[in-house]
Amino acid sequence: MRRTREGLNRLLLAALLGVALLLPIAVRTDQYTLVLLTTILLYGVLATAWNVIGGLAGQLDLAAGAYLGLGAFTAGTLLIRLNVSPWLGMVLGGLVAVGFAVLIGYPLFRFGVKEVWYALSSAALVEVLRVTFLIWSQVGGPVERYLPYHEWSFYHLRFATYMPFYYIMLGLLALALLVNHWIRHSKLGYYLMALGENEEAAEVLGVNTQKCKLQALAIYAFLVGVTGSIYACMYGFIHPNFFSGPMSIEVAILGIVGGMGITYGPVMAAILLVSVREFLRANLGGQLEGLYLVVYATVLILIALFRPQGLGPMLRQAYDRLLSRLVKE
Amino acid sequence: MLNELLRVEQLSSGYHRVPVLNGVSFYVREGEMVAIIGPNGAGKTTLLKTISGLLQPTSGQIFFHGQEISGQPPHTISRIGIAHVPEGGRLFPNMSVMENLMMGAYGNRDVLKTGVLDELFELFPRLKERRHQLARTLSGGERQMLAIARGMASRPRLLMLDEPSLGLAPILVEAIYDRLRVLRERGLTILLVEQNIHHALSLADRGYVLENGRIVLEGACAALSQNPHIRQHYLGL
Repeated sequence: MRRTREGLNRLLLAALLGVALLLPIAVRTDQYTLVLLTTILLYGVLATAWNVIGGLAGQLDLAAGAYLGLGAFTAGTLLIRLNVSPWLGMVLGGLVAVGFAVLIGYPLFRFGVKEVWYALSSAALVEVLRVTFLIWSQVGGPVERYLPYHEWSFYHLRFATYMPFYYIMLGLLALALLVNHWIRHSKLGYYLMALGENEEAAEVLGVNTQKCKLQALAIYAFLVGVTGSIYACMYGFIHPNFFSGPMSIEVAILGIVGGMGITYGPVMAAILLVSVREFLRANLGGQLEGLYLVVYATVLILIALFRPQGLGPMLRQAYDRLLSRLVKE
Repeated sequence: MLNELLRVEQLSSGYHRVPVLNGVSFYVREGEMVAIIGPNGAGKTTLLKTISGLLQPTSGQIFFHGQEISGQPPHTISRIGIAHVPEGGRLFPNMSVMENLMMGAYGNRDVLKTGVLDELFELFPRLKERRHQLARTLSGGERQMLAIARGMASRPRLLMLDEPSLGLAPILVEAIYDRLRVLRERGLTILLVEQNIHHALSLADRGYVLENGRIVLEGACAALSQNPHIRQHYLGL
């Protein structure tokens, strides 16, 4: 019984991976669909990274845009000014994001900024960075800075098609999921879940909550920073609007809707919600401005009303039911 | 004469600028069970929170095994052997019983190799039956048992309990106190904070009465339960 169940699990994982790998080939040169699929993956990575700080550690972080922008500007500026390959740039971008996260996170956690106050501080951070980069004309400024054009350059991570970015993003998603899975089953994961549920209880049991929160924040910032570097290469320019408040909130929404702390939840939410959003944008966007957002918001409200635990647990149950039926037969 | 395990000297503490404790002094000897009793708002919980480091004292000292520990962060205090079972248990509701217990031992993971979980399951058989259940699905009595077991999982030298009888039916209070009696007979040092004075005084060795942030009475529990002030104000006799 157990073995067949595990077999089916593995089969499903292999099937999903197969579909994910083959999708772009099926789509071929349809750039719109490719960029759509890559965007879904991008949000999947961001929401999966958010799961570490938001889902596991229970900190309502709204600063994804800050780390995304830092990653984009680090890799982008290095490429434009010094011709540094984004492959190195993305690691540096992740590290810059980590450095900044620690710089901000240390005092926040040290002085016990929690809950809504943490959410507000992190949201403010995005805006502060956006304005700073608008004013800082040596690196940012109000005009887009374009990355050098290459039709197909592996070194510059510049391609005239979105196909390579799809696979890079898929790899990054796999990395984010692995990191999540690893944390979920490590000592740090238990510490984070404990402090997310009840910080005071975790403290008296010997958890150094400040340190754990900072570690979670750093891991999240690194993944988002790397994603930001790739984001810059994919779109071919950098602009202070990359420090985007709405995008930061969207990432948190995906993490919450996916089911707090569930490894695969945020990806599921990203696949479902970003598809719905883009479908609505494509079909309703031309009719009345903002109408698609009204419908999208209605979908979110319905989920909040009927599935407050998130989509993750719902899909899990459905999957378990399906499995038990298959195994019994 | 037994060794002093915990000594609190002229401790004052509170929340922000609101003072709650005002020069509290007491001690707990090794192997002893000491009860701190008092009405709502006397500062009992504040006292335990200050000892475990969740609150910083405004003045005064706390010694554990002769070493000053006041001002240390809670995770350090937990690791040197003081377990705090907070009011209402403060379990991790979405973790299983087993995971809650593991959290209790995580500060010092080597302790898991000593078979502490088996001992706890022997002490609280219901928890063994329910070890895979989520903590939020437990009944009130089971939750309190889990909270105590979680505190015990790190093999502390001092167990501090904050109102273990809070919100429980009388029969469950009996069950909890029966387990505390076993722990005490095994030689564990326990500092108990209670409003349920009858139970606290019948089990503990010595007691302190805390009122308005000061210790107003102290003595052996047998003597305290005969004290006219206590009989009139707390026991209603």
